[in-house]
Amino acid sequence: MAKKTNTSIYIAALILLLAGVGALLYTGFSEGSVYFLNVKEALAMPPEKLASARLFGTVSGQELARTEDGRTVTFRLVDKDSPSHTLPVTYTGVVPDTFKPGAEVIVEGSPQSDGVFRAATLMTKCPSKYQKENREKNGL
Amino acid sequence: MYTFAFLLLAATMCLALLGAGASLVALGRPAARPSRIAEAAGLFAAVALSAASGILTRALAFSDFSVIYVADYTDRALPLFYRLTAFWAGQPGSLLFWAFSVALCGAIFQLTPAYSRLSGTTRHWYWVFYLTIIGFFGLLLTTWSNPFLVSHTAPADGSGLNPLLQNPGMIFHPPLLFLGYGGFVIPGCLALAQSLNPAADEARWTSVSRPFMLAAWALLSAGIVLGAWWAYMELGWGGYWAWDPVENASLIPWLIATAALHTMLLATRRNKLGATTVFLVALTTISAFFATYLVRSGVVQSVHAFGDGGVGNPLLVFVLAGLVLSAWIAIKGRDPQAPALSGLESREGFLVVTAWLLLLLAGIILVATMWPVFTALFSGGEQGSMGLTAGFYNRVCLPLFAATVALLAICPWLRWDGGLRRKAFFIAVIAVLAGWMGGLWFAEYRLPTPLLASAAAVAVLFGHGLMLTEPAGRTRNALCVAGIHAGVALIALGIAFSGPYKTEKDLILKQGESAQLGSYTVTLNRVMVGEGPGYQFLEGELGISLDGKPLGILAPQRRIYDKWSRMQFAEAATLFSPGNELYASLLAIDEQENVQFRVSVNPLVNWIWFGGTLLSVVPFLMLGARRARKTEEEC
Repeated sequence: MAKKTNTSIYIAALILLLAGVGALLYTGFSEGSVYFLNVKEALAMPPEKLASARLFGTVSGQELARTEDGRTVTFRLVDKDSPSHTLPVTYTGVVPDTFKPGAEVIVEGSPQSDGVFRAATLMTKCPSKYQKENREKNGL
Repeated sequence: MYTFAFLLLAATMCLALLGAGASLVALGRPAARPSRIAEAAGLFAAVALSAASGILTRALAFSDFSVIYVADYTDRALPLFYRLTAFWAGQPGSLLFWAFSVALCGAIFQLTPAYSRLSGTTRHWYWVFYLTIIGFFGLLLTTWSNPFLVSHTAPADGSGLNPLLQNPGMIFHPPLLFLGYGGFVIPGCLALAQSLNPAADEARWTSVSRPFMLAAWALLSAGIVLGAWWAYMELGWGGYWAWDPVENASLIPWLIATAALHTMLLATRRNKLGATTVFLVALTTISAFFATYLVRSGVVQSVHAFGDGGVGNPLLVFVLAGLVLSAWIAIKGRDPQAPALSGLESREGFLVVTAWLLLLLAGIILVATMWPVFTALFSGGEQGSMGLTAGFYNRVCLPLFAATVALLAICPWLRWDGGLRRKAFFIAVIAVLAGWMGGLWFAEYRLPTPLLASAAAVAVLFGHGLMLTEPAGRTRNALCVAGIHAGVALIALGIAFSGPYKTEKDLILKQGESAQLGSYTVTLNRVMVGEGPGYQFLEGELGISLDGKPLGILAPQRRIYDKWSRMQFAEAATLFSPGNELYASLLAIDEQENVQFRVSVNPLVNWIWFGGTLLSVVPFLMLGARRARKTEEEC
C-alpha cells in the first residue's frame, strides 16, 4: 500500500520538475539558439536571418587590413570546403591573439547595408593541443 | 626502442583480450580462482603501459625528434617541464596517459586484500569488463592513435608547444581529468560484475570500490576547477566557463558521478536504488568515453579545434555497446526485495530529487552540446544547423544548479524516512535563507537565480555549521562531507556574483594617465619591454587605487614567442582579493604609445577556487574514514 502512494508522489514530483525544466528550455531555446553556418550557407540565407547566426570560416590572406591601433580588422571569410564562397567581414574590438591569415574563426554579428558583415564577436579556434595540422597548413 | 614500446602496447591488447576471453570461459565452470591469464594481463597492462609512458617521457625529455609526436609538440627552447607536459598535449599521448591511469588503478585494486576476498564469479565478470576496456585502449593506441610513430628523417628541431598550453594549468589539468576518468573504471566494472552475481556472499562493490570512487571524483573535480581557472587566466577563452563543448564534455561525467555518489548513499544505507546506482556508476565511465568522442571526432564545432584522429567511430561503437550492456545488466540485477522509497519529504526523497536534477543537467548539457548535430540531421544539412549560445546554458542550467544547492540546504534537516530532524535548526536555516534573499534584494542585487543560489549557499554554510554542534556531525566522515558541501556552496556563491555582477571596460591610456572603473582608479605607471625564456614581452604597469588609497600593481604582458613569431599572446594579471578581484590584460599599443587594456572587476571570483580546492582535497581525507560509517546520520 505504502509503496503505491509513494510512487505516485514521485511521479507527480517528476512531472512537476520536468514541466519546470520544459518551461526553462522553451525560453532558453527561443532566446539562445543561433544558426551555425559556414560561409556558403550564410550566402544562401536571407540577410536578416544572419543577425542570429554564428559563422564559421577561415581568414583569407588577401584583403586583410588592420588599423594602426590594431583594434579594427577587415578581412574576407572563406568557406572551408568551397573557397570560392567568401564574405567580407569587419570587426572592431579585441582581436584575438591567434587571429591571422588561414586561421579558422567564428564570427557573430549582422550584415550591413553595403554587404559587409559587421562582426560583434570574433573568436579564433585555438590551434589546439589536438591539432597540429592547423599550423602546418598555414606555413608556420 | 619505439618498436619495443609499440610491441608492449600490442601485447597489452592481445593479453587483455585473451584474459577477457579466458574469464568468460572460466565462468562456465565453477572454479573459484580467477583466470591466471586475466590476472597476469591486468598486471602486465600496468607494467607495459608504465614502460610505454616512460619511453615517451624519455623521448620528450631528451627531445628525440625522430618520434613524430615529440617533434610535433615540443622544441629545443621549451623548458623541461613543459616538454614533459607535452605528453598530454596531443591525442595519442593523452590516450596513452588515460590508458595508463586505468591500468594503474586496476593494478592497485588487484593487489588490495578487498579484491582477493571477492567471490570467484564476481572476479571473473570483473575481468571480462575491465580487460575489455584495456583491450579497447590497446586497440586505439596501436591503430588509430599510435604515439610511437617514428619518422626516418628526424627534424633538427620540433614545431614547439602552442603558447596557450604553456601555462601551469597544462601541467595538472589534463592528467587530473584522465586520472579521474581512470578511477571510475574500477567501481564501474565491479558494479556490473557484482550485479551479475547478486547471490554472492561478499563485500558489496560500493564499499570495496569506495576509495576509487572518492579519489576519482576528487581528481575529476580538481581537473575541472583547474581547467576553469586556466580559462579564466587565459584571455580569449571566455572566462572561467564559456559552455564550450570541450568544457561541457568534462562536466557531464562529473554530474553523473555526483548523482551516482548520492544514490549510492541510498543503496548502501537503505538498500534502495541499487540497480540505479550500478547503472549510474557504469554510465560515468561510459560518459567519459563519450566526452572523448564528442571532442575528438569533430562532430561538434568548438572554439578548441580538435582534429579527427580517426578514433571517433570506434569510440562511438564502444560507447553505444557499453550503454546497452550496462543498462541490461543493471535491470537484470535488480533486487526484487528492495524496500520502497520513503515519501518525497524525506531525506531519501531529497536525495532522489538531487540525483534527478544532476542527471537532468547532464542530459540537457549533452543534448545542447550535440544540438548542432541533431538540427543538421533534421534539416537534411541544407539549412545549416542550429546551435545554442552560452545564454541558453545560463538560462536553463544555472537555475537547476541553484535548485540543487537549495535542496542541499534543506536535506540535512530531514529524517531518512520523512519529517524534520531538528525543527529549531531547520527554522534557523530557513530564516538565514530568507534573510539573505531579503538583504540582497534591498542591496539591489535582484537577479532571481543569483539571489536564490547565493541565499541557498549561505544557508548551506550556516546549516553545516549548526551540524557541528551535534555529535554525529563531528565524525570524520560527516566533517568531510560537510567540507565538500561547503565547497559546493562557496562555488555557488562565487558564480552567483562573479557571473552576472562582473564589470568590464576597455581603457586606452598613455603613460601617466588615469581612468575610472567603477570606484577604482587605474593609472598607467609605465610601459616597458623585456625578454623571458623563449619570448619577448611588452608590459604595462597599472597602479590601482580605491578612493585615493593605492591597492597594488597589475602588470599584464603581451608576449611574442620565438617559435610563434606571427602571433602575440596576452598574459593577464590579477590583483588578488577575496572580494573584488581586479583583472587586466594588455590588448594593444599604437604608434603614439596609447596602450589599450581590458580591465575587469570580478566579485567573489576567488571563492570558486577556494570551494574547488575543498572539492578536490577533502574526499581524500575520507579514504580512511570507512569504519565509523555505520552510526552516522548525514546527508
